[in-house]
Amino acid sequence: METTPISVSDAIALINQTLDYAYPSIVVEGEVSSFKINQSKYVFFDLKDASGTLPCFMMAVQLRTPLEDGMTIRVVAQPRLTNWGKFSLTVRDIKPIGEGSLKRSFELLLGKLQKEGLFDESRKRLLPRMPEHIAVISSTQSAGYADFMKILNQRWGGLEVTVAHVTVQGIDAPKQIVRALEYLNQMPDIPEVIAIIRGGGSLDDLSAFNDEPLVRAIASSRAPVITGVGHEIDTSLADLVADVRAATPSNAAMLVVPDRHDMIRYTDQRVKSVVVSMQTRVQQLKIRVLGTYEQHLQTIDRRFAELSRHVQLRTAFVAQLDPKLALQRGYSLLYDTSGEVITTAHVGDQVTIETKTTTLTAGVTHVSKK
Amino acid sequence: MSVKNNPTLAEQIEQLDALAAWFEQDDFDIEEAIKKFEEASEVAESVKAKLLNLENKITMLKERFDDQL
Repeated sequence: METTPISVSDAIALINQTLDYAYPSIVVEGEVSSFKINQSKYVFFDLKDASGTLPCFMMAVQLRTPLEDGMTIRVVAQPRLTNWGKFSLTVRDIKPIGEGSLKRSFELLLGKLQKEGLFDESRKRLLPRMPEHIAVISSTQSAGYADFMKILNQRWGGLEVTVAHVTVQGIDAPKQIVRALEYLNQMPDIPEVIAIIRGGGSLDDLSAFNDEPLVRAIASSRAPVITGVGHEIDTSLADLVADVRAATPSNAAMLVVPDRHDMIRYTDQRVKSVVVSMQTRVQQLKIRVLGTYEQHLQTIDRRFAELSRHVQLRTAFVAQLDPKLALQRGYSLLYDTSGEVITTAHVGDQVTIETKTTTLTAGVTHVSKK
Repeated sequence: MSVKNNPTLAEQIEQLDALAAWFEQDDFDIEEAIKKFEEASEVAESVKAKLLNLENKITMLKERFDDQL
């Protein structure tokens, strides 16, 4: 029995429905050939191996890794029949495979972003000396995260740490890290530093950190970003674009916060410097006060000496006026009978005459005016 | 210098730096110096106590970042 015919469009839709059901997502590895980007929007390439070729299509915005012919890649894709009857894989994700392809992809993206100035030193921002709020993007189950937190807690206290848990390896890692970065940059209280942390891994494991949208998200982060990704020998593009690159997660924690024991020493030194300043100033003040006191003493001494001299002169002068001194020089003093010194007398008066050595009593017999 | 009720560690260390800098200036008043010295000692003690005792407050975000946009 003949089945009911359907339209071409319906047939295509039916086939695609079947494909969706049978292969919602397939992961295929192969070598890139005939790579091209049309109108800066649509990416076309073939994925091939020794005996087969599969045409692939994707939107340019989804292309997170530079491609070129000859690279071996792994794609996550959905098989589809186009309206023109052409079969292709609609690619969602691409990951370069093997050391050669990874290195080539790294070099291509490095060159592209370098030209844009994304790695320029002038773009780098300093981390705050003593942050109060930081964020960590990491897998909370990873050894790298544990190392970072251990050193962070050993070194510093009173810090607010916001943790965004993401997967840090695999095809999903860059997208999750980008989302976490965007989330943290939109928080009402943006962290002062964002640390992206993961432990060591193979070149393939660390390729998540060579993802173009991730590198751009780090470059446009409002908060400075520090990376502590992999071991010292591995450099990712995320490291190059970050404001600060730490060699390891532990090293990142050391760069994010000061050491509390160093700070205690610093605090002690500060107090010591204040004590020394205080002592110096007090000493200077003492010298100044004593100096003034000494000056006052000298002034008093001088004034006292002047006064003493003055008194001596006065005393000498007054001594000169003593009438007894006249007796010494041979003069006499005349007294009346009541003992008063007189300067005149009348005839018949009795007077007493005092000389240097004797006292005489005499009567006045004659008075004449001088 | 205005002092908040609950200054942060960073603010207290800045305060200590400012107090130490005060002692370097030319104008020096002994009464003021004694006050500043006592203030510096108190701040230093508080900083040290915080450094030794404060723990970091860790907040795990509930947001999941693996959802498709």
